[in-house]
Formats: sequence, C-alpha cells, structure tokens
Amino acid sequence: MASSMATMRERLSQAPWGLWWIQGYRLTRIELRRNLFSWRAAWIYFLAFVPTFILLIHLVVDRHSGNSISEDTSILAGIVQLYYIRLGVFFGCLGIFSRLIRGEMIERSIHFYLLSPVRRELQLLAKFAAGSIAAILLFASAILANFVLVYVGFGAAGSDYIFNGPGLGQMESYLAIIVLACLGYGAVFLLLSMMFRNPTPAAMLVLGWEAINPILPSLLQKLSVASYLRHLMPVQVGAEGIFALLTVKTEPVPAWQATLGLMALIAVVLFYSCLRIRKLEIRYTTD
Amino acid sequence: MAVYKRSYRAYEGPVTSPAERILVLARYAWAEAWASKITIALFILCLVPCLISLVGIYAANNPLVRSLINGKASELINVDAGFFLKVLSGQCWLALVLLSWVAPRVITFDLADSALPILLSHPISRFGYLFGKFLALFATLSIVTWIPCLGLFIYQGYTSTLPWMAGNLRIAFGILAGSFIWIILLSILGLALSAWVKWRVVATGVIFAAVFIPAGVGAIASAVLRTRWGFLLNIPYMITLVWQRLLGAPEHFNTDNFLPNGSIACMLTLACLVCFAMLNQRIRAREVVRG
Amino acid sequence: MSDQIIFEDVSKFYGEVLGVNRITLSIPPGITTLVGPNGSGKTTLMNLMTGLIQPSRGRLSVLGLTPADATEFFSAVGYCAQFDSFPRNITGWQFVYDSLMLYGMEKAMAADFTVEALDRVQLGEAAGRRIAGYSKGMRQKIRLAQSIAHHPRVLVLDEPLNGLDPMARAESMALFEDLGRQGMHVIISSHILDEVDRISDRVILITGGYLIAEGDIHQVRQEVHEKPMQVLIRCDRPEVLASRMFSVNHCVEARLHADGKGVFLRTSELDQFYSMLNGIAAEGLIKIDSVAPADDDANAIYQYLIGTEGSAS
Ligand SMILES: Nc1ncnc2c1ncn2[C@@H]1O[C@H](COP(=O)(O)OP(=O)(O)OP(=O)(O)O)[C@@H](O)[C@H]1O
Ligand SMILES: [Mg+2]
Repeated sequence: MASSMATMRERLSQAPWGLWWIQGYRLTRIELRRNLFSWRAAWIYFLAFVPTFILLIHLVVDRHSGNSISEDTSILAGIVQLYYIRLGVFFGCLGIFSRLIRGEMIERSIHFYLLSPVRRELQLLAKFAAGSIAAILLFASAILANFVLVYVGFGAAGSDYIFNGPGLGQMESYLAIIVLACLGYGAVFLLLSMMFRNPTPAAMLVLGWEAINPILPSLLQKLSVASYLRHLMPVQVGAEGIFALLTVKTEPVPAWQATLGLMALIAVVLFYSCLRIRKLEIRYTTD
Repeated sequence: MAVYKRSYRAYEGPVTSPAERILVLARYAWAEAWASKITIALFILCLVPCLISLVGIYAANNPLVRSLINGKASELINVDAGFFLKVLSGQCWLALVLLSWVAPRVITFDLADSALPILLSHPISRFGYLFGKFLALFATLSIVTWIPCLGLFIYQGYTSTLPWMAGNLRIAFGILAGSFIWIILLSILGLALSAWVKWRVVATGVIFAAVFIPAGVGAIASAVLRTRWGFLLNIPYMITLVWQRLLGAPEHFNTDNFLPNGSIACMLTLACLVCFAMLNQRIRAREVVRG
Repeated sequence: MSDQIIFEDVSKFYGEVLGVNRITLSIPPGITTLVGPNGSGKTTLMNLMTGLIQPSRGRLSVLGLTPADATEFFSAVGYCAQFDSFPRNITGWQFVYDSLMLYGMEKAMAADFTVEALDRVQLGEAAGRRIAGYSKGMRQKIRLAQSIAHHPRVLVLDEPLNGLDPMARAESMALFEDLGRQGMHVIISSHILDEVDRISDRVILITGGYLIAEGDIHQVRQEVHEKPMQVLIRCDRPEVLASRMFSVNHCVEARLHADGKGVFLRTSELDQFYSMLNGIAAEGLIKIDSVAPADDDANAIYQYLIGTEGSAS
C-alpha cells in the first residue's frame, strides 16, 4: 500500500491537469449527491415545476381554440420573464448557490472541504459547476415541459406553430435565457454568500438593482444579469404595475453580444470569488 | 450505619405564575430582537413614511398651504380613507421587511445547536414558549404599524378644522383591525418559517419567498387557467383587499378579480393552520435523527 | 525537503482577541503533545498548521510545504479537528470514502483504504449508519478514521481522546504510539498532560496564547519541580515566622516584605510547607492574616499543567 501511495504521489506531481480534472469531477459529483439531489432540495423542484403543474391542469381541463395560441404564447413569455427570471430562478439560485459555501459554514462542515487535497479555486469551481448543473437541469427541463404543454393542446396547429412557425426558435431562446440566468445569478449569489454572513439582504438589493437597472445609464446596465437576458427575450410581454419598470425600451443589442457580455460578467465574478476563497478562514464561533 | 447531614435544601420558595413566565420570555425575545443595529436602522426606515404623512396631514389642514396649492393639486393631499390606506399599506410592507429580520433573530438562536431541549426543560410549555416569542414579535410590529397610523389619525382629528374624527371612526377601526390581521399573520408566519428552516440566514429569504412566490404562482394559475381564484394564493393582493374593505376606501383593482371576504378569511386561516402545524413539528424538546 | 514542522514568529489575532502570540517552534518527527488549559490557543495553533486560518504575522511550513499547494500539502497532512460536525446525510463509510476519492485514487484503492482506516479505529458495523445518529465517541472515531485514512506523514489531532471510553482511549493511544514509532509526526492536543505523556516524546506547554515550555517531557517535568514556589504570608511577626520556617530544609529563601508586615517564603515542598504553617498558626504565637501564592501566573499554570503531585504515572 505504501508503494501504491508513493506512485500516486508521483502521479500527482507529474500531471496536475489530469488530477485536477478527476478531483473537480469527483467533487462535483459528491456535491450534487449531498446537497442537490436530496429531500432538502425538494422545494427547488417545487419552484421549478409549479408552472408546469398548472399548465398540465390547463391542458387537461380547458378547451383549446385556435385563436388562443397567440394568447398562450404571450402567457408563456410572461411565465418565463416574470416568474422564472424574477422569482423561480432567482430564489432557486439563491438557495442552491448560497448553500454551497455559506451553508457549509453554518453547518460547520466547510473545514472538511478546506482540508481536502483539492486546490481551493478548484473547489469553488467544482461547487459552482455542481450548482449550475443542478439548477440548469431543473429549470431547463421545467421550461421544456412548459413549452410542450402549452402547444401540445392545440394539436396540429400547435405542432405547425412549433415546427413551421417561430416556436422552435422561441424555445431555443428560452432555454438559452434560463441557462444564462442560472449561471449569472449563480455566480453572483456564490460570491455574495461568501462575502456576507446573511446573503439574503444583499440578494434583495440585487433584486432591487435589477429592477431599476433598465432606467440606468448604459454603462451601469452592464452590471446586471437581467439586462442581458432582456435582450434575448423572443416575445415581449406587456407588463403592468411594478414590472412596468422592466420593460423600458432600450436600444436592442444583438443576442451574441448580450450572451458574451453576460459570460464576461460571470467570468469576472468567478475570478473574484477565486481570489476570495484563497483567503477564506473558518470562524465557526458566530452563526 | 451512615449518617448523612441533611444540609442540602431544594428550593421551595415562591415561584412566579406561568403567565408571568411567558412575559419573561417575551421580554428576552424583545431584547434579542432589538439588540441588533440593523433592527434599529430598519425601525428608523419604517418611521420615515410616517413623518412624510405627518407633513402631508399638516399641509392638508393648513389654510395657508392649501391656498398656495391651487385646485387640482390640493386633492392630492385629501386626508380620507384612501390616504390612510396608503399609509397603512406602506407601514405594513415595511413591517414585513422588519419581520424578516427580527423573527429569525428571536427564534433561530434557540433552535440552532439543539438548545431547545434545554429551554423546554424549564417549567414552560411549548405553547408558552411560542406565545412569549409571539408577543415580542407582535409588539415589535405594532410600533411600526397601527401605533403610528393611529397617531396620525388622532393628529388629523386634532388639526382638522371640521369635526372630522367622529365621522371617520371607521378608519380608526379599519387601521386597528387591518394591522392586527396582518401582524398576527406575519408573526405566526415568521415564527413558523424560522423554526422550520432553523438557520437565521436562510429564514430571512424564506420569509420573503413565502409571501411572494405563492403570489407569482397564483398569478400564473390565474393567467393560464383564466380564473380569478389564483389570486387566493396572492397574500399581498388579498390583504390589500381586506384593508380596502375595512377602511372603506374605493377598490381600485380590476373587478374581474373580485374575491369574496369568506374566501379570503378561509385562505388566511389556512395559512395560519399550516404555520401551526409547522411549529408543532419543529418546537419539540427532542429530535430523532434516523441514523 | 525538511522533515520538521516550523513556526517562525507566528501570531494570530482574532480582531482584538489574541489567539497565539509570537510562536517560534520546530517540531521533529515523533509524538508531540500540545498541552494547555481552555482557550490557550491549542486549536488556533493546529488550525494555523493546517491552513484553516492564516497567520496575522510570521510564517510556517509543514515538511517544507504550505497549505497553498493543497494537493501535496494535504496528501502529507491529516487533521482531526475539534469541530463536532459533519456533512449532512452521509454514512461513516461514505464520509471516509468520499474524502479519499478526492485524492484522485482508484475506486478500489479508496475502498481498501476506507476499510483499513475504519478497522484501525474499530468503529465496527456503525460505519454503515448515518453519522447524524452516532454517539459522541463514534463521531470522534470516524473523524480520526478520516484523518488517518490517506496515510499522511503528519497527523494533527485536536483532543482526540475526548468522549472516548477507557477502552477506546487505550486503543487510540496504542494506535498513536504505533504511528509515532513508525516515524510519523503525531501532534496531539490535550488539557491533561498525564493522559498523554506516557506515549509522547515531547511536550509543548502553551497558555494564554504564549508558548511557555517546550521539550522532552522528563526535562520539562524536572524543571518545574526544581523551581520552588513562592508564598507571601502577612503576619504580625514576620521575622519570627521566617526563622521558624528556615528550620526545615525545604524552605529555600525568605525575604521580608517592604512594609515589615509580611514575608516572602520560597519552598519546594508546598504540601509540607502548608501543614507546618498550620501548626505555627495553631500555636498562637504569630498572628497570621493571610497566605497567598506570590508567583506570576505562568508558574501557577505550570503547577496546573504538571500537577503538584508530580505523578509520573
Ligand atoms: N473564531 C474566533 N474568533 C474570536 N476569537 C477566537 C476564535 N477562535 C478562537 N478564539 C480565541 O482564541 C483563543 C484561543 O482559542 P483556542 O480555540 O485556540 O483555544 P484552545 O486551547 O483550543 O481551547 P480548548 O481547550 O477549549 O479547545 C481564545 O481566547 C478564544 O477565545
Ligand atoms: Mg481547542
């Protein structure tokens, strides 16, 4: 055994990239198993699939006449923009990603991670990957199910809308939006949860920031997740009340630019988080 | 033969009555709630709209100010049921913010690290424990909701040149009843959710989520199923209806979404019952971990 | 590569609170015991050693490595921390296995190592149960298993005997002794020196964040016993008392207090000294007002740590 240990050490020193890959992969798996596919996470499933459930009832109960297809299309757009982006993904990611580091601190088990032979940056990225995988799997499948449920009730007209009309394109943009939203909010909340003992007030500030963001100067708009997502929405929804703030007209930005912008934002936030986690100390005394 | 000196005496003197013990708990919970600077900051924030309203009332009753603002604008500061509805709802939403900070403070410290068994081994019942905490929350929320609102009401009665108060007693009653319904609901909700999730950090978020996510879900249900009953999940909407009706203010919501009083009462009661069930589950002297 | 654990002038402050101050140490292989009362900085020192906290000042290295090279560092170091908490919802076996998997081992090897570690701490079939349902001693054992599972060269154990029954204590001590004899660095912290001094090669005494003694266990013990205790006695005729006391040979020094109303006496046999003092007081010749140890705190702490009886067990 001692000799196998020695050979392992040698392998460590020779091929760090291969080792890092294995460590990251395994840590991601462990993380997924411990935190995300457990009963504790059931509420996130609830968040993600409640609209699906309602749409299912709609499918079973209501008659679908041909002219309501455009109405349902805009309802779907509303669900994505007002429910998923504002509430579902927001709170879901807040829960998932602040769990990853702050949750371990509260449970006083983060030292097991810090004592593992994995570089801290790698730990952070693995945790981020695990959170993203869980969030994306969940919300993307929910969106997919919603999309199918909305149009399947219309029979031939529905499939015509999807395959010969704008349907497929819309679905692709919805998926892209959800993936980007999960990554964007995920990175932001991961950082917030590392910076603050209670990330919720900060998250509420983020929510407020996102809400007033459309009316800010365009430079500040670059610092928001929702502003990038807005440019990707395939169907505009007319909003009333407090959400009217969201639909302030801004000059359109091409989709690839919005995507790249958001990716850059995520990269910056993750980079800063990596810097922070290197200095992370355990302090279990309070909270 | 062993001879023991019976020098040890158990305490046999007078003890306080159970009701007083509840007040002890309430006092400590109150102190815990106000020990944080953030509570104080939030409290001050909660008083800002009241001050603005105070200035509004002053302006509305001051002939000089009234003459300065002509015709149309003077209707803006008409002190009536609608005015008090705005004040009350503003205070009540601020109370939610305050609660989301305070409620986790008063209860999660006991639940973290399994301190609850120690607490409940004192001569207080589970109900007494919760009631004490509830009193503290209720008092905290009171000083930002009905107390300042009633104060404004009295001030309006005092400054108004017309005999205003007697004719508008319904507003005072509405303020009192509306605030009570809301802060009782909030206190129970805050206690239940904090006890359920146990961590202060998470509890703050969960309290917000518990108010707004069902509202979002309800909105989806209403839109998709073309029904108005989805609004029964919308606590903010329902409570606003309640306030409107209690104060006798004109209802400015879409009449398609009308909800009868009975259904609102049922939903609010149901919410409280769910909270009680959660509390019953969590506030126990022991916890079995299935190993 | 060095085979020592080296602290160079390390300090750690928690805000205003002193954790440890200006520790300079080098620890060779073998079993080292870190002894000190509650809050003396043992855990702080161990956390520093393993990178869980960073020093406010100074530098340290373990076998020439620092925690920044996590992979190599933690292959060489195992830490059984004082924190009694675990990841949620996992069994003891899974806990050890997961941590081994992160070393990049083959699955079969990780499983072998897990079995071996669990055998060593003799956790028995409890390994298959969830940790949340473990007793205190079982949790201590599973933590120990996790820290030794990957065959580290440095083993840092924070109060590893806490919560163990006498049998498990003896077994754990035998295990540490065994590991130490094999040339591993084993660093054990404890409140009670007597408990661990039988197996340890070296002790480090620490109190209030300061290092107060370090070295071979017998040396430290000797030094403390040769260092006599000083007592201040307030009485009306100090010179008479001093002369009476000097008639016994364990009293090595006497010095009158500046105000003439007391005397400092230094003795190496405190128990005998006190019984004699009682005798003098009973005679009624000298009126004794008060008796108080006049040594600085460090000395009192020595006495606490080493024990006045000096039972070399
Ligand atoms: N996270 C922290 N924040 C503030 N002070 C701390 C923290 N951790 C430790 N301290 C302080 O540092 C000092 C040393 O504490 P440490 O935990 O190292 O003691 P210890 O020797 O391990 O005690 P024990 O025997 O009780 O485990 C104490 O005064 C303690 O109050
Ligand atoms: Mg300690």
